[in-house]
Amino acid sequence: MTKTFTQDDVIRYLYQETAEKESNEIEKAMLCDARLQEMYKEFALIKKDLSRALKQPSERVINSILNYSKSLNLPSKP
Amino acid sequence: MEKYRISDSQLVSLYKNGNEEAFEQLLNRYKAKVFTTIYLIVKDNYVAEDLLQETFVKVVRTIKEGRYNEEGKFLPWLMRIAHNLAIDYFRKDKRYPTVVLEDGSKVLNTLQFAEDSVESIQVQRDMHSKLRELIQELPTAQREVLMMRHYMEMSFQEIAESTGVSINTALGRMRYALINLRKKMKQYNIAYDQNIYPR
Repeated sequence: MTKTFTQDDVIRYLYQETAEKESNEIEKAMLCDARLQEMYKEFALIKKDLSRALKQPSERVINSILNYSKSLNLPSKP
Repeated sequence: MEKYRISDSQLVSLYKNGNEEAFEQLLNRYKAKVFTTIYLIVKDNYVAEDLLQETFVKVVRTIKEGRYNEEGKFLPWLMRIAHNLAIDYFRKDKRYPTVVLEDGSKVLNTLQFAEDSVESIQVQRDMHSKLRELIQELPTAQREVLMMRHYMEMSFQEIAESTGVSINTALGRMRYALINLRKKMKQYNIAYDQNIYPR
């Protein structure tokens, strides 16, 4: 018998917070439950877009940080 | 073929021993994640860059002074510094982000901002920019969980402990955040990449 899963279970699965056994069960449930599968697809699309929507800082600030690091010579504690 | 990726803790060790290239790798690995997290809180490009710099100055000093705790993970530690600095910025200026009700009432401080993006395709750039705006419009509790889970890579358990709620509440907030974003993207007719990739 296929277990019933909630939207929150799908989110935990999406963010890889389910154990292997539970992941397999969710995958199996998605094959039989079109609604669950659709929900997973929607969440997965947004997750992917969130990762691609990262904003890049300017080269100027990155160079400034690198220069700061190079200029700082502190005696390292053990 | 998958390239060998040196771990964060190995890079930190190399950096402790004076390898500046190791630090450059760490910086390049996480600069966008840290910057986006700060930006979504302060909503100002210039302030976000200042705070990004301040975050990494703390990282540099802590590691070079031998005060870095080897037992913890690098990314959560880095993100905590960034998050705290961004929140402190508002506390000092008494400009904490507008509190938004759980029912999704409108925020007042949505900003239009100039983009400094590296993406070459205008459509993608517009979509990403709009998505960041939509994240800022989410109710505070939802936005907080979304940022902590997605950009700060905290587990739902860690988020629950950090925000003083149950894991189910944290999961529920994440669910509403994702559902709200999906609705808003549809409302604004933002086309997203329809290809599904494995998680």
